[in-house]
Amino acid sequence: MQDDTDTTRATDSVYDRIERARASLTGPQIAIAVALVAALGFTLLFVQDPMLHDSLHNFRHSAGITCH
Amino acid sequence: MATDYLERGAVAGVAGGLVYGLFVATVGNAFTAGLETFEHGHGHGGGPVVSGLTTAVASIGGGVLWGILFGVAVFGMAYFFLEPAIPGSGATKRLALAGAGFLTVSGAPWLVLPPQPPGVEQALGTETRLAWYAGLMTLGALVAVLAGLTYRRAEGRHAAVRLGATALPLALLAVPVALAPANPVHGDVPAALVAAYRWTVVFGQLLLWATIAGVHAWLGDSDTPVADDLDYPATAD
Repeated sequence: MQDDTDTTRATDSVYDRIERARASLTGPQIAIAVALVAALGFTLLFVQDPMLHDSLHNFRHSAGITCH
Repeated sequence: MATDYLERGAVAGVAGGLVYGLFVATVGNAFTAGLETFEHGHGHGGGPVVSGLTTAVASIGGGVLWGILFGVAVFGMAYFFLEPAIPGSGATKRLALAGAGFLTVSGAPWLVLPPQPPGVEQALGTETRLAWYAGLMTLGALVAVLAGLTYRRAEGRHAAVRLGATALPLALLAVPVALAPANPVHGDVPAALVAAYRWTVVFGQLLLWATIAGVHAWLGDSDTPVADDLDYPATAD
């Protein structure tokens, strides 16, 4: 049931990948990865602290994200 | 296993980020700063709180991190899960994912909220625009998924028919374009310059995605097929 890669002629599916991730990764590993990505996105796009916001001004415009 | 994918995604992201950081350093910074001369008092109120040099350096760093973000999130994480479902193989597969990423992050939102240079004020409030941006990102992702599914359904048809069918979901993007509230802009930046700026931004993002995809393809696949590399025996039954 969990391992039907043999029965389906070893075709790989998105479902298999999710199962594989579940088998090989621990909760904290997933949490760290997700948190890193979220922190990076948040810092680049949403932090409104004037110092950081203004210093990333050219970047935001160059990346097509406008705030004003 | 999954960490191999994460590692390759991160490496591709660093490479793309460095190229994009170079783009910000050479084109983005100067173009943006130059257009700021069209800004008349309004805008952030009181001018920026940091020096131009700080902005230039931080923006280059932002560009590098932007690439790392895409590399890790899209090619490190999403690719691991979606690899079996993405059409094509080798570099084509990566370009398909990069196209989907561009459509989601930039392409779809820009149809309603195109990139604006400094010195151009938009009528819609920031909150409204954020909501539209988020909605359009969701739609962009949905369209990309639908395109992938259509490609799969059209298996066995003539290549041209198959490609045409795959492009059909893109028509969905016309819906928000038609429904979006008017967002008149005002500013002293000449229209031709605004257009040049926009396309520079578009090509900048395309360059970033293409670089990540190219480097990721160059890094190759895991040597062993996924199924052979499991710790638990696959022949347990």
